[in-house]
Amino acid sequence: MKKIIRTWTINGEARTVEIPPMRRLLDVLREDLELKGTKEGCGEGECGACSVLLNGEPVTACLIAAGQVPEGADILTVEGLERTEGGRLLQKLYVEKGAAQCGFCIPGMLIASYAYLQNPDRDNTDHALRDAHAGNICRCTGYVKIVEAVRAAAEQWPKPSPLPSPGGRG
Amino acid sequence: MNALEQTILLEPATLAEALQLQADEATRGLPLAGGTDLMVQWESGVRPPPPRALNIKSLPELRELQLDNSTLVIGAGVTHATLRRAPLVCEHAPSLAHAAAEIGGAQIQALGTIGGSIGNASPAGDLAPSLLVADAEVELASVRGARRVPVASFLLGYRKLDLAPDELIVRFHIPVLPPGAREGWRKLGPRAAQAISKVMGSYRGRIENGRIAQFAVALGSVAPTAIRLRGVEQWLIGRAIDSDTLAGAEQRAADEVHPIADIRSTAEYRRWVSGRLVRSFLEQLATS
Repeated sequence: MKKIIRTWTINGEARTVEIPPMRRLLDVLREDLELKGTKEGCGEGECGACSVLLNGEPVTACLIAAGQVPEGADILTVEGLERTEGGRLLQKLYVEKGAAQCGFCIPGMLIASYAYLQNPDRDNTDHALRDAHAGNICRCTGYVKIVEAVRAAAEQWPKPSPLPSPGGRG
Repeated sequence: MNALEQTILLEPATLAEALQLQADEATRGLPLAGGTDLMVQWESGVRPPPPRALNIKSLPELRELQLDNSTLVIGAGVTHATLRRAPLVCEHAPSLAHAAAEIGGAQIQALGTIGGSIGNASPAGDLAPSLLVADAEVELASVRGARRVPVASFLLGYRKLDLAPDELIVRFHIPVLPPGAREGWRKLGPRAAQAISKVMGSYRGRIENGRIAQFAVALGSVAPTAIRLRGVEQWLIGRAIDSDTLAGAEQRAADEVHPIADIRSTAEYRRWVSGRLVRSFLEQLATS
């Protein structure tokens, strides 16, 4: 099998991988790059636990062949969220509202929340908020506390800003 | 290394390059765009991974979305996320936009494409009914040239398409919603997001002087392909939407579908709910 070499910006940092092109993006993140925050739930695109942002859009990393991710793509995983002001706000509010129980769905759930909140044209209705999380299954919380956390985050959401450089905690 | 990782990923930079690869059996790959169906089938072993996959996800030629006179032209690589938000689609093919908004969740919508949804040739593909009621055509291309086929005749049967091995689905030509006409979409399933539909469908219709002047209705998951209910449509033309019309249409729709029982629903439920769907479409049209 001929491997390919790709350089992507992952959580604000340039990372280069040499991989079989049909390896799932999920496996590249977890195994090749040792970013274990992204979880595998169903492996069929149903549960959303493996959600990451790819060029700003939330996608299930279990359904993407890494070779389909172009050179220079921008990927944000749950590990990168705490480098952002919005990500830290989400983390704080998920804790405050009790939105996380077992925690397995939370990396993907946070990515869905972040994608929804980052959209400058965001619709703040309850329906739109829930719709933005419809691809993420949680078996513990019943979603109410997650919705509360995201609604609170929407009220305090910072103006969009680029991801700080690696190591930056500002 | 797992079985899928043995597959070679072909990466044409242009549509012309892709068609050239597809022209020869020795270089041809299975077209892969969003991967929302194929990756699952290959990973789970439902279908063995192919020796070669053709990455068409990044082909710029498949991303077009424009209005050409009274036809909406949508590239095969346009995603559900784009379909549900694009003002052109929301205005000129609203049931298609609505259907796209109820496929999967945000993550699936960002990946899945209109070409993949039709190319997957599943009777449960949520976009087919909206294309059928609009009398949309699909454009296919190969090194031999391009051809256009009505979507209704492109869908040959369960997992069967009028598509030659060297052809790619390139774009869809969708006649826009005419002035005074209305469209609707509705899906029946355990929940709006993620779940595969038990039954779903679309209509496009117009009332003139209190009577049905035009009515097209298509349902999915009730036959080997999504289908137009031509018998119901013909019976409805010229009628006023009153209780007799609603009851007659409901009964005729239930008679015209030929659903099966599977893990998602029973044939009996699908038949009953097909009638109710057509009734609800007519009730919606009557209030327009």
